[in-house]
Amino acid sequence: MDAFLKFMLNAGVYVPLAVSIAMACGPSLFSPRRSKIMALFGASVSFLSALLLWGAYMFSFSGTGFAFATSPTLGAAEFPSFALNAASAPLYALAGIVGFSSVVWAAISEIKNPRLYFTFLMFMQGGLMGAFASTNVLWMYMFHEFALVPTFIAMNLWGGAGRRQAAMQMAVYLTLGALVSLIGILAICVQFGFKTFEVSEIALLSVSLDSAWQYYIFGILLFGLGTLVSLFPFYTWAPRGYAAAPTSFAMLHAGVLKKFGLYVIIQLAIPALPLGYADWCGVIAALALVNVIYVGLVTMAQRDLKLMFSYSSVSHMGMCFLGIAAMSVAGVGGAILLMFGHGLSIALLFMLSNAVVNKTGEWDMNKMGGLYKSAPVLAAFFAAAVFASVGLPGFANFWGELSIFVALWKSSPAICTLAATGLIISAVYGLRAFAKVFMGEPSKELSGKMGGISDISAAQKFAASILLAALLFVGFYPGALTNSLDAELSAVPSLNQSK
Amino acid sequence: MQVQLFSILLMPLFASAATVLFLRKSKWGGAAVSVFSAAFALAMTISVLTGDFSARGIFKVSTEFFKLGGFSFDFGLLFDGLAANMLFVVCFVGFFIHIYSIGYMDSDNSKGRFFAGLSFFMFSMTGIVLSSNLFEMFIFWELVGFSSYALIGHYSDTDLAREASKKAFIVNRVGDFGFLLGIIYCYWTFGTTDFESLHQILKADPAGASTAMGMLVLCGFLGKSAQFPLQVWLPDAMAGPTPVSALIHAATMVAAGVYMMVRLSSIGFLTEPVLDTLTLLCGFMAVFAGIWALGQNDIKKILAYSTLAHLGLMGVGIGIGFDLAMFHLSTHAFFKATLFLVAGSVIHACHHEQDIFKMGGLFRRMPVTSIVALVATFSIIALPYFSGYYSKEGILMASYGRFSQTGLFFDQFVFWLVMAAAFLTPVYMARLFFNVFMGSPRSESASSARESSIWMLLPLAVLGFYSLAGAWSFAYDLDWLGGKMDFFIPKAATVFVGDAFALRQKAFYVIPNISTLEWTALVTTFCGVVIAWAVYGHSRGFDIVQKRLPRLYAALRAHGWFDDIYNWYVVKVQQRAAIFLATFVDLFLVELLCVRGLGIFCAVLGQGFKRMHDVSGNSQVRWIAGGALFLLIMIFA
Repeated sequence: MDAFLKFMLNAGVYVPLAVSIAMACGPSLFSPRRSKIMALFGASVSFLSALLLWGAYMFSFSGTGFAFATSPTLGAAEFPSFALNAASAPLYALAGIVGFSSVVWAAISEIKNPRLYFTFLMFMQGGLMGAFASTNVLWMYMFHEFALVPTFIAMNLWGGAGRRQAAMQMAVYLTLGALVSLIGILAICVQFGFKTFEVSEIALLSVSLDSAWQYYIFGILLFGLGTLVSLFPFYTWAPRGYAAAPTSFAMLHAGVLKKFGLYVIIQLAIPALPLGYADWCGVIAALALVNVIYVGLVTMAQRDLKLMFSYSSVSHMGMCFLGIAAMSVAGVGGAILLMFGHGLSIALLFMLSNAVVNKTGEWDMNKMGGLYKSAPVLAAFFAAAVFASVGLPGFANFWGELSIFVALWKSSPAICTLAATGLIISAVYGLRAFAKVFMGEPSKELSGKMGGISDISAAQKFAASILLAALLFVGFYPGALTNSLDAELSAVPSLNQSK
Repeated sequence: MQVQLFSILLMPLFASAATVLFLRKSKWGGAAVSVFSAAFALAMTISVLTGDFSARGIFKVSTEFFKLGGFSFDFGLLFDGLAANMLFVVCFVGFFIHIYSIGYMDSDNSKGRFFAGLSFFMFSMTGIVLSSNLFEMFIFWELVGFSSYALIGHYSDTDLAREASKKAFIVNRVGDFGFLLGIIYCYWTFGTTDFESLHQILKADPAGASTAMGMLVLCGFLGKSAQFPLQVWLPDAMAGPTPVSALIHAATMVAAGVYMMVRLSSIGFLTEPVLDTLTLLCGFMAVFAGIWALGQNDIKKILAYSTLAHLGLMGVGIGIGFDLAMFHLSTHAFFKATLFLVAGSVIHACHHEQDIFKMGGLFRRMPVTSIVALVATFSIIALPYFSGYYSKEGILMASYGRFSQTGLFFDQFVFWLVMAAAFLTPVYMARLFFNVFMGSPRSESASSARESSIWMLLPLAVLGFYSLAGAWSFAYDLDWLGGKMDFFIPKAATVFVGDAFALRQKAFYVIPNISTLEWTALVTTFCGVVIAWAVYGHSRGFDIVQKRLPRLYAALRAHGWFDDIYNWYVVKVQQRAAIFLATFVDLFLVELLCVRGLGIFCAVLGQGFKRMHDVSGNSQVRWIAGGALFLLIMIFA
């Protein structure tokens, strides 16, 4: 069984990459239909691998550290070593679930040049799975870049209005952010004398590093990785970027890839640089509050559906950072729970917004209304996604936000109070969007078209159900994540156990 | 018992899920499943209450559900006399409103969604009742908010429902914001939010209760029970179907706030300043909502304001003795549910006409509805022997007794607030009754009104009976009934209130002039009715105050200008601030000046450097000379 799981761990990463490379090399072999099938195949391997390994990790693995460690060799060539721990298993699962759902969605949408589209999508998928499966920091970074670059290209080729500028801006920001993070990662390795690149071993060496170095390196990592996660003030790439990106890529980027920055902070920076972490917590909290409140208010003023959800995702990232700033097991654990929940809910929202826009031909929420009548199932999914992102109990996001608030109060009641205004702000824009799009009487622009609008198809329901099921599963059984997270994070010395 | 309680909790959830997943398009499938689940819950409740459960004891199960570091959350069930009382009210009223809905929603196209929402509400409400700790209660608290949102928005294609549902959820969220912080504060102070453990801790150290914590939790109450300053959502919530208004926005959900406060008060969680704040806010609401009710012509809105007023009375009850609040909650649930169902029956018969001045003369056309309405009205205006009398008199006398004991101005003031509320109730209720049922029909729809179907009349009759007799099982001085009333309400459900009330009534006898007070209260009630008869008693087809004193009427109608102030804040302040941030700060300052500006700055710099590196001899010479100069300075400086 263990050998099979290890095989699946590799397959989850390499099959999508292989599919992508095959499609890139043999353009004539892949008709649109065939490339769709290939992509679905690649994504379902990832999906299966994600579910299997997450399940196996959840139910069989107890204790801390990495499980399913594997480093295959082919002749003399050594492949990167993969393994999962409590922090990476949920994100690996997230990548598989969102990836599969986005490929299904793409397969049933009308896309120009599908072979190329799926080539990039599969490459991104493989990169994502690899980034969360790797235990070697350099490979982590490499796989992240694999996933990042296709986004820019896809935006330029299939994006919506304003795509060139948005893609350019996104490319500059994210490449710079990644570069700065690489400097931070390398700085850690230099300080430790290049003894190892394995995350788990780096953490053990941390005692030897003096506090000044920890301070600088953590700062570099924070701003590099923070840019990737759209931490204030380096967030301006995100809203217009997501709004212009093709749906599948927006889903994967906002839902999964964006969490990479937070993931590296939790997996690498917090255990390896405990003193630096403690020094920067105040700054993290301040910047994250700006994300939650200021960007939250900006979100309220948006009229464009996709742009609004893009801003909301920036705002929610602030909440994750606040969990990290709490410096406790509950805070960081809550951040991971929220990353998981938010990844699913934002992907669902982008997917459904895409359906709304396709059906109405409008971006502006003020020009919609009354869509419930003609598309009740779409409305139900949309409402579920909105309430998930608002943090209603029963969805994964709730547990994340709750434990973040609980943890924050212990470190600072004032910050907790400010952060909790996010509860109200997110309800305002979330419900306003649902009300404007689905309820009330149809707008002038729409009333003529109303008859021709149909509900979403069975395949679309399927794609949305995958995400919703995962949200509800963790919402009703948060132990799926927390049982192992609690043990894993409690073993990190820099996190306060009693909080 | 554990299995029974869990089945009461989960059955409605299954019914709701089954309807959403499989019976969405079925015409009556959803209704059948939902009504079955409500019947099941009621039967289980009665079997638990009449079984081996001792209402003076406590049944509790609790297991750890969620743990991250220092934050652990337990999921459990707590069942005691208080929970038994509330559970009976919720399941009993809930079941009959389910039945009623079959008749009321007969021509609705989205019955599946409606009944799924109703069942989901039953699930969340039962969850609140059975919660064993504050975090758990918060979860169900939020879910109740969600089901209320879904049901208010039932007529989703109207702008009214759209705005009302959104408003209800957001206003409640504002209250929940404080509530959650209070819970977290409690968790870190006491290390637990479990009611029983808190009780032990506070019993050992009564001074441990914190005012700040209580005030934060109070926010949750103000939101859910729609009190100052968060009351604005409740009148608008009448945009939902009438059975929903009856169940959620009158009988049970808004009472969840009262239930929560009663529970916390009974374990000594609320300090004196918190209780005084609560009493004052609610006392004002009891009076003002009664006044505002006179400015409404919509039958459901009048009842909504009356609900606000009576929730205010319950709030005063919490402040002066929590058992009184629970007693009034129970009787109010019976008579207010009845009144709303009457309103629904009338609206249904008058083809969705809701203006009381366009009705009239319905007594002859809808005899059953009218008699039930009369009974419920007698109950709400507190005529002796009707349910409402006992609980309202309890609050009135307790507030008088308190004032006569302490002699404090505050307590005197509270007493006069309650007295004023007791005077206003008959005024607005008689205004409603005279215009709807007496006189002659004043519109086409009223003159063609016919009595409603049996599905609606049966629940009406049952709940009408309880608004007469519901309190008889609680109030033990009714010796002439012996224990016979236990047949109507299981004894276990009335013990919590009954025990405390028996003691209280003994205390009433020693209050000086208590019989004078009783008579004064009765006279006040009659005065209210007479005044209403004089002003509104003549079937005119319009509100005489509106005609003669338009300014006064406009002031009544504006219900304190709260909506105007909040609207002004939302539209003029909040939204403008958001737009300012989004356009000026985000787009102009950050995006254009900082981000693009940096880009342009780099481009200009680049252009400048490019100029300096042209291939002409001059620039080469300049660079060499400049470099040499720089070196020299570096060497010698």
